[in-house]
Amino acid sequence: MSWSKLPSRTQRTALLLLVLVAALLLQACAPAATAPDDGQEAAVPAGPVVNTLGKELPADAAPLDQQVLVYPYNGWRTFTTIDFFQAVYERADSLTDLLSDALVRLDKDFQVNPGAATEWSVDESGLVWTFKLDPNLMWNDGTPVTADDYVATFRYGADPEHAWDFSWYYQGVIRNWTQAVAGEVPVEEIGVRAVDAQTLEFTTEAPAPFLPAMLVYSATFQKAALEAHGGLYNSNPETSVSAGPYQLVEWTKDQRLVYAINPDYKGTNVPYIERIVVVNIGQPSQLMPAYEANEIDFVNGGGTLSPADLEIIGADPDLNAQYHPHYGDFRTYYFAFDTSQPPFDNLLVRQAFAHVLDRETILANVVKRQGMAAYSFLMPGFPAANSSAHQETYAFNVEGAQQLLAEAGYPNGEGFPKLTLKLRAEGPTPLAVAQAYAAALKESLGIEVEVNNMDFKAFMDELNAKPTGVQFTLISYGMDYLDPSNMLGVFLSGGRHPWSNAEYDSLVRDASSFTGDPAERVQMFQEAETILVNDAAFVFAYHQTPGDLIKPYLKGPALEPDANGVAAWHWPGFSSFSNLLSGVYISNEVSNYRQAPD
Amino acid sequence: MNHPPPVAAQRTLLGDAARRFARNRLALVGLAMVTILLTMAVGADQIAPYAYDAADPARALQFPSGQHWMGTDEVGRDVYSRIVHGTRISLSVGLGVMVLALLIGVPLGLLAGLSGGPVDYAIMRLVEVFTAVPALMLALLLISVFGGGLANVILALGGVAWLDSCRLLRAQLLSLRERDFVLAARTVGASGARIALRHLLPNSIAPLIVAVTIGIPVAIFAEAGLSFLGLGINDPIPSWGKMVGNALSYMRVYWHLGVFPTLAIAVTMLGFTFLGDGLRDAFDTAMNR
Amino acid sequence: MARYLFGRLAGIVIVFWIVSVVIFLLMHAIPGGPYNEDKVPLTAEAKANYLRKYGLDRPLVEQYLLYMGNVLRGDFGVPFQSPTESVAGLIARTWPVSASLGLAALLVALPAGLLLGILAAARQNSWVDYLASATATLGLTVPNFVVAVWLVLLLAVQLKWLPTGGWGEWYHYIMPVTALALAPLALTARYTRTSILEVVRSDYVRTARSKGLSDRQILLRHTLRNAMIPLLTILAPQIPNLITGTIFIESIFRVPGLGKFFVSSILGRDYPMIMALLLLVAVLWSLVYLITDLLYTLVDPRVRLEGKKS
Repeated sequence: MSWSKLPSRTQRTALLLLVLVAALLLQACAPAATAPDDGQEAAVPAGPVVNTLGKELPADAAPLDQQVLVYPYNGWRTFTTIDFFQAVYERADSLTDLLSDALVRLDKDFQVNPGAATEWSVDESGLVWTFKLDPNLMWNDGTPVTADDYVATFRYGADPEHAWDFSWYYQGVIRNWTQAVAGEVPVEEIGVRAVDAQTLEFTTEAPAPFLPAMLVYSATFQKAALEAHGGLYNSNPETSVSAGPYQLVEWTKDQRLVYAINPDYKGTNVPYIERIVVVNIGQPSQLMPAYEANEIDFVNGGGTLSPADLEIIGADPDLNAQYHPHYGDFRTYYFAFDTSQPPFDNLLVRQAFAHVLDRETILANVVKRQGMAAYSFLMPGFPAANSSAHQETYAFNVEGAQQLLAEAGYPNGEGFPKLTLKLRAEGPTPLAVAQAYAAALKESLGIEVEVNNMDFKAFMDELNAKPTGVQFTLISYGMDYLDPSNMLGVFLSGGRHPWSNAEYDSLVRDASSFTGDPAERVQMFQEAETILVNDAAFVFAYHQTPGDLIKPYLKGPALEPDANGVAAWHWPGFSSFSNLLSGVYISNEVSNYRQAPD
Repeated sequence: MNHPPPVAAQRTLLGDAARRFARNRLALVGLAMVTILLTMAVGADQIAPYAYDAADPARALQFPSGQHWMGTDEVGRDVYSRIVHGTRISLSVGLGVMVLALLIGVPLGLLAGLSGGPVDYAIMRLVEVFTAVPALMLALLLISVFGGGLANVILALGGVAWLDSCRLLRAQLLSLRERDFVLAARTVGASGARIALRHLLPNSIAPLIVAVTIGIPVAIFAEAGLSFLGLGINDPIPSWGKMVGNALSYMRVYWHLGVFPTLAIAVTMLGFTFLGDGLRDAFDTAMNR
Repeated sequence: MARYLFGRLAGIVIVFWIVSVVIFLLMHAIPGGPYNEDKVPLTAEAKANYLRKYGLDRPLVEQYLLYMGNVLRGDFGVPFQSPTESVAGLIARTWPVSASLGLAALLVALPAGLLLGILAAARQNSWVDYLASATATLGLTVPNFVVAVWLVLLLAVQLKWLPTGGWGEWYHYIMPVTALALAPLALTARYTRTSILEVVRSDYVRTARSKGLSDRQILLRHTLRNAMIPLLTILAPQIPNLITGTIFIESIFRVPGLGKFFVSSILGRDYPMIMALLLLVAVLWSLVYLITDLLYTLVDPRVRLEGKKS
C-alpha cells in the first residue's frame, strides 16, 4: 500500500478544521511519498502475450488479468440504455455503444475511417449513397450482421412510437425522416434501404457531403432482438446480443456494468483491453477522490472537474502529467439574447453588451485551463474556423459600450429593465463566468442582472417556449460530427434561439449541401459566421478545452500525439464510434497503482 | 439546583423572568450575539467594507488577508462583505420561516391539544398530510411551480415548517392537561380558555423555544438546498446557505469559501440557542416557583 | 382502543388520497416533461409522440383515475428512469439498502445522543455541558454532505483505510453512517438535555425527591421517562427521513439506495416514481405517527389516546 502525496498547505489547513488531531498526526507520521517509478523494472523477457481475440499485446503490457479498464459513470444522470438509438441522453456519460460497429469510425485526427462499412460511394445526383458492409461481421448468437439490421435500426430511430430523443439529428438529411417522425409516412419509406444483405443505401433530401461523417452514429441493433425484446434488449445481459468488440456480462443497477471482450468479434476494431468495469461514481464531485484513491483509471474532464480539483492537479507534478487537455467536442459557451423583444431587438444594445465582456481577465482568472477566449463560434481547429478574423469586432471597450447604450436610449443604464441571466444547470465554471459578466454589466453599464442557474428541464422548457421565456442566457453547444453544417446549424431560424437571419440561413443551407470545391464551401460557412458575429445576437465567451485525467498505465497508439501534437482521449471516446477503442492497453506500470479489479 | 429564596414582594411573571434572565451569563451572551446579528442585518451597507456584488475577476479566489478578511470568492467578491449582507437574507429566511411556522402551528396545536375529539383528529390528519410529503421535496415542487425569490422561498419553507411546533404543542398539552396544577385550576372553577392561556401555554413554551432555535438554521439550510438546485435566491444576492452550497466545488483548496459562511450559521444558531435556553430557564423557574 | 386504531387507519387512507391528488397536480404543473431536450428543441411531432407513448397527452383527470386504478390493483407503473423494472421492483431493490443504512445511523445516534444529553443535563453549565452543546451545534450546522466529502478525503484519499464508496461489505457502512448519524445525534442530545432539566424542576420530581428517592432512581424512574415525550415528537419525523435515504450521502458514497430518486425523479419528471415515492412516504409517515402516539401512552400514562373532553 503506497502513501499518496502529502497534502498541500491549503488542504492541510482545511483538514485541520475537520479533525484537528488526526490531521496533525497524519502530517507528523506520513512517510515521504513514493513516486511510482516509470517502468524502471526491466521487462521480463517472455513470448508475446496474446489476448482473447488473438491480438498481440505490446512488450510493456500488463498481464491479461490486469487488462481491465475501470471507467466511471455519473450516477446522478438517468441511465437506462447503452445504445445510441435507444436514448442518447440516458447513457449517463458511461461507456456505451460497444456491442456493434458503426458504419464509420473516427481516428484521433477526427478523420472518417471505414467501420462496419468497408467502402462507400455517392451517385451523380449527390443524393444516393451506397455503403458496402463488412461480410465477416457476426452476432455472437451465430447469425450474420446484415443490411437489414441497419435498416431496422434507422426505422426504429424514426418511429413515432419510439419517440427517439435524437430524432432531430437526421431530420432534413435522410429522405422522409421528418415525415416519418411526424407520423405522416410509414417508417418503411425513410431513405434507408437494404439493396442486398451486404449493401446499404441512403437517400438524402439534398446533397449531403457530410453524410459519412454524420453516420458515426450508426451502431446497429440486431433486428431479431429488437423485434423480440424491444429497444432495451441490451439493458439485460440475458437478452443482450453483440456483434461488437465487447459483450455485456453484468449490469447491477445503480452500481456497475461489466463488459468482456467478445470472443466472436469478427470486425476490424480489435481491442487490447479484455474487460471493462464501469462503476457508478455517484456524483461528479467524487470523481477526483476516486481517481486519487486509484479506484478508477480515467476522469472525463469535460465540465466535471471542479476549480479546486484543477488547482490540486496543477500543484502536483504527477497529477499534472496525467492531465490531458484537448478540444473535447469543440464546445463553445456563448451569451444569447432574445432578439425578438425589446431591449435586445436593438442592435446597439447588443453591441454595447458585446463590448463589456472582458474575455482576457475572465479566462485568466475564472476559466483558466478549461478554455480559450472565443470571439466567434467555431473553435480554432474546427473546419472553417476563422477566429482571428473576429477578434477586433467586439473587443473589450467599456467606453464604447457606454456610448452605444446611450445611443440606444439608455444612458448609464437608465430605464433599462432588470435582467435575469438564466443558466442550464451549469457547473461551477460557467456559473462563475456568468457572475463575472453580470457584475461587469452592472459596473460598466449600470444594468442590474440576477443570475439564475436553473433546473435543466425547466430551462429547456422556457428556452423552447414560443415565444421563448429565456431573455438572456449563457449556454453552450458542441459538435455531433466534424462539419460546420452541424455547429452552425444550431442558429438556423426556428432552431434553438429566436434570432433569425435569412441571409445566414441561405448561406448555411447552401454551403451544407455544396458539393463543389471544398475551399469555396469553407468560405460560404465563414461568410455565414461573420454575419452571426457582427449581428451580436450572441456574445461568444469561450471555447471549452476540457482536460481528462488518464492514469499513466493507460498507453497505446490512440493516446500518442495527434496531427496537432495533442495526446488525449479524443472525442467521441471509447466506443465503436472511434478507433480509440482498439488503440489503448494497460501497461505493466499498473501494478504500482492497483490490483486486478474483480 | 440553587434557586434563590422567593422574595416576598408581589411580582409579575414577566418581571420575574427578566430578572432570572439577566442573571444568566450564557443567556446574555446569546442576547448579545443575536443583537450583533440583527445590527449587521440592519446596517449591512455601513458595516460591509465592499459592495456585496462588486466583482473583480482579477482578484478571484484570494485567501484571507488584511484587505479581504475572509478572502474573495470565485469572481473576486469580498467574502466578508457578502457574509455581512447575507445576514439580512439568511435571518429573513430563518426568522420569516419560523414566524410563519408559529403563526400557523401554535393556534392549530392549541386547538388540537385542548379540544381533542374530532377537531384534534382533523388537525392531526392535516399535519400528517403535510408531513407525509418530505419537506424539501414539497418546497421543491412548490417553487418549481410558483417560482423562486425570497418571499416564495419563505412561504414554501414556512408552509411546511409549522408542523413541528403544532405537534410539539399538542403533545405537551396532552401531557400537561392531566397534571396537578391544571387539575387544581379546574377544581377551583377556572374556564378552559383561562387554563389554556394562563397555565398550559406558558408551560409549553420551553420546547417551542428550542424548536424555534433549531428551526432557524434548518430553514437557512433548506434555502441553501433550494438555491443549490437553482430554485432559491438568485445571485448576486448573498445568502449563507447558498454560499456554503456554492463552496462545495472550491472547498478542498479554497477552504475560506466554505468555513466562514458555515461559521456564520453556527454563530447564529449558538446565539439563538443560548438566548432560547436562557428564556426557557427564566420562564420555567419563574413559573414553577 | 380498537375504535381509536380504526379511526387512525381511516385517517391514513384519507391522507393517502389527499396527498395523491395534491402531488399529482403539482408535479404536472412543473415545467418540462420526461422527454429529453438538449441540443436542439424536439419538433412538436416528436414531443407529441413522446407524450402519447406514456399516455401523458390525455386529460389530467383521466390520467389520475387511470393511475389510481392501477395503484389500487397494486401496479405502480414503470419508472422512466429505469424502464426495465417496475416502480415497485425498484423500491423493493433500493429501499432495504437505505433502510439498513438509516437504522444503523439511528442505532448510533440514539444511544450516543441520549448519553451526551444526560451528561450535559447532569452537569449543567460545566465543561461537559458546553462540550456537548458545541458538539450538538456542530452536528446541526455543518451539513452532512460537507462532513461526507471530508470523510472521503481523510479516510479514503489520505489514509487509504477505506474505499471512497461502494456497497456490499460491512466497511461500506462506516462513512455514510457517521455522516448520517451526526444530525440526529445532535438533536437527541439537545432535546434530552432540555427535557431532563425541565422535568427535574417539575412538581412530581420534587415530590419524589422529598419522598427520599435517590437521584439515580429519580433519573431513571421519572425524569428520563418524562423527558421522552418531546424527544419522541422530534425524533419520530427523522425516522422516515433516515430510512428512506438521504440524497447527498447516498450519492457521495455510491450507496445504491432510494435516496437519489427523491430528487432525480423530480429533476427527470419521472411521474410514476414521484407519485410512488410520495405515497410510500405518506403511508410510512402516517404509520410512524400512529406508533409514536401509541408510544406516548407507554412512556406517559397520563396521555390518553382518545383525547376525551373532560
